Amino acid sequence: MQNKMLQDVIIYVVKSMKNRMMRSILTIVSILIGIMAIFALVSFGQGLSSYVNQIGQEAGADKLIAQPRGFGPPGTSSTPLTKDDLDFIKKVKDVSEASGVVMQQAEISLDVDKPGKWVFVMGMSTIPSEQRLIDESFGGIDILKGRNLKSGDKNKAVIGYNYQFADKIFSKPLKLGDKIFVNDVEFKIIGFYEEIGNSQDDSNFYITINDAEELFSKKDEYAFIYIRADKGVNPSELAAKLEEKLRKEKNQKEGEETFFIQTFEQLLETFGTILLVLNAVLAIIAGISVLVAAVNITNTMYTAVLERTKEIGIMKSIGARNSTILFIFFMESGAIGLIGGAIGILLGYGLAKLGGLFAASAGFALLKPAFPWWLIVGSLMFSFAVGAASGFLPARAASKLKPVDALRYE
Amino acid sequence: MMKDTIIKLDNVWKIYQMGEVKVEALRGLSLEIRKGEFVAIMGPSGSGKSTAVNMIGCLDVPTKGHIYLDQHDISKLSESDLAQIRGRKIGFIFQQFNLLNTLTALENVALPMLFQNTDREKRLETAKKLLEMVELGDRMQHKPNELSGGQQQRVAIARSLSNNPEVVLADEPTGNLDSKTGEIVIRFLEKLNKEGKTIIMVSHDANVARHAQRIEHLKDGRVVKRG
Repeated sequence: MQNKMLQDVIIYVVKSMKNRMMRSILTIVSILIGIMAIFALVSFGQGLSSYVNQIGQEAGADKLIAQPRGFGPPGTSSTPLTKDDLDFIKKVKDVSEASGVVMQQAEISLDVDKPGKWVFVMGMSTIPSEQRLIDESFGGIDILKGRNLKSGDKNKAVIGYNYQFADKIFSKPLKLGDKIFVNDVEFKIIGFYEEIGNSQDDSNFYITINDAEELFSKKDEYAFIYIRADKGVNPSELAAKLEEKLRKEKNQKEGEETFFIQTFEQLLETFGTILLVLNAVLAIIAGISVLVAAVNITNTMYTAVLERTKEIGIMKSIGARNSTILFIFFMESGAIGLIGGAIGILLGYGLAKLGGLFAASAGFALLKPAFPWWLIVGSLMFSFAVGAASGFLPARAASKLKPVDALRYE
Repeated sequence: MMKDTIIKLDNVWKIYQMGEVKVEALRGLSLEIRKGEFVAIMGPSGSGKSTAVNMIGCLDVPTKGHIYLDQHDISKLSESDLAQIRGRKIGFIFQQFNLLNTLTALENVALPMLFQNTDREKRLETAKKLLEMVELGDRMQHKPNELSGGQQQRVAIARSLSNNPEVVLADEPTGNLDSKTGEIVIRFLEKLNKEGKTIIMVSHDANVARHAQRIEHLKDGRVVKRG
């Protein structure tokens, strides 16, 4: 029976809200802030999740990574993986290929005498299939300009995306053919990588593994070994098998290994869990502001019921049922929620976009907000629900007023 | 009960508990009103007039006794059922006019039909006709505070008729009006009565009450004089 009324109830609700313009606006603002915060936060969370999923898809389900176990940033472990480990891994059944990466923090500069910047220098394989394995592991990045390192290259470098721009690493942008010094040894830039999306990886400096070993006098010490499983092999089973075999090979006890082997899925799962927790914490904080808004709406609606007691009495005396009164006040608080939600979504969208730009300019291009349709629809429904729920008690109080008493109210 | 009885109050008591004290507003009130009558209920303040009107108008239920509307006992109905009945069968006119200030005259008149789930087009059409009948065809889009007291009361009369009720219940309809405007309002009620509506009017003013065919005098919660 309420559907025929809906249009008129909406007109009535809009009129009474206009009648109390200031209070309606303030109540709307209070819910708007909460919805804006939630919308912006969730859109960032979504952006991150879809980024992780994208990496997951591009890195594929056939890759594993072996790393030294240890504290501190990668590459600083006291017991790195060795050439023997790599050769051993390569020989294990079900391993299609494996490639070790040397990594070292080093100072790079545009001139021998000038102070430089500290970045990660990676020594990479020059075998094309192994290069593909590593590129895929980085989420499917490719060479953007120039060419990749190849066998026989000496003192050549392929560098990260950010070097192309002024003031990101050096004050002047670099281009193909430029000279750059690593620990005072001159390198020539032959290529640029595509954007990975975080400022650290986009500042990486890639040289051949031979150059790296020479430069850092690190023979056969790898920070990572990337492994590709044979087609049809379950990577997590392979990871367990490899870990066991390598442990025996290295004569280590279970639980005291100096290395660990993970599939990319496990790696992303860990990252995904962290993201989920982070999102939940942020959502709870934003949720608190929604809760405050809900209390505010309840307060506003109680005041409205009090103010309109006589009006309610009149409506009842001319035939309004309890359910009609309940419906009217329900719709009014719902409308406050919905309007607040709609504006909150618009502002949240702006805020997220702005935050995304800000993050990108700070070197975190992967922090890109995403706005799936369900987030928009969900936020609208949520804000309506919060409004309606907050209005429930006052609406019920209004509907239960006795017409005689309500009419007498001044 | 006579066949054409539209409202019958049978030994109706209304007792309010005010803290420790019991107040007997109605003490065995019995009253019978037939279809097409114009009845005035008179009495000094405290005589139970207002309580009686609330009972007749289904705004309240008695503590004891029975109320029959159209032969149906309504003394024990729920608030929502009462709301439906008064919306359909009874049109109210109040001393304070009691229009909704946020709505236009037209919307005010159309409102009771909304509660009976009438289609929007039909509602507006009926409301327009009724406002024309009370000679306010040129004031339809005005809000109550843009109208004079007499005009507001005529909007209220139009509203009371919108669901084509059998009974129009007017509680001191001229109480807030000067005598000249009051006359006009009473003349509309007389006109309605001639067209067949049952009119029940509460008043403390003998000049107003004399327009009725019959006057029930109330005192101390019961009828003391009929005439």
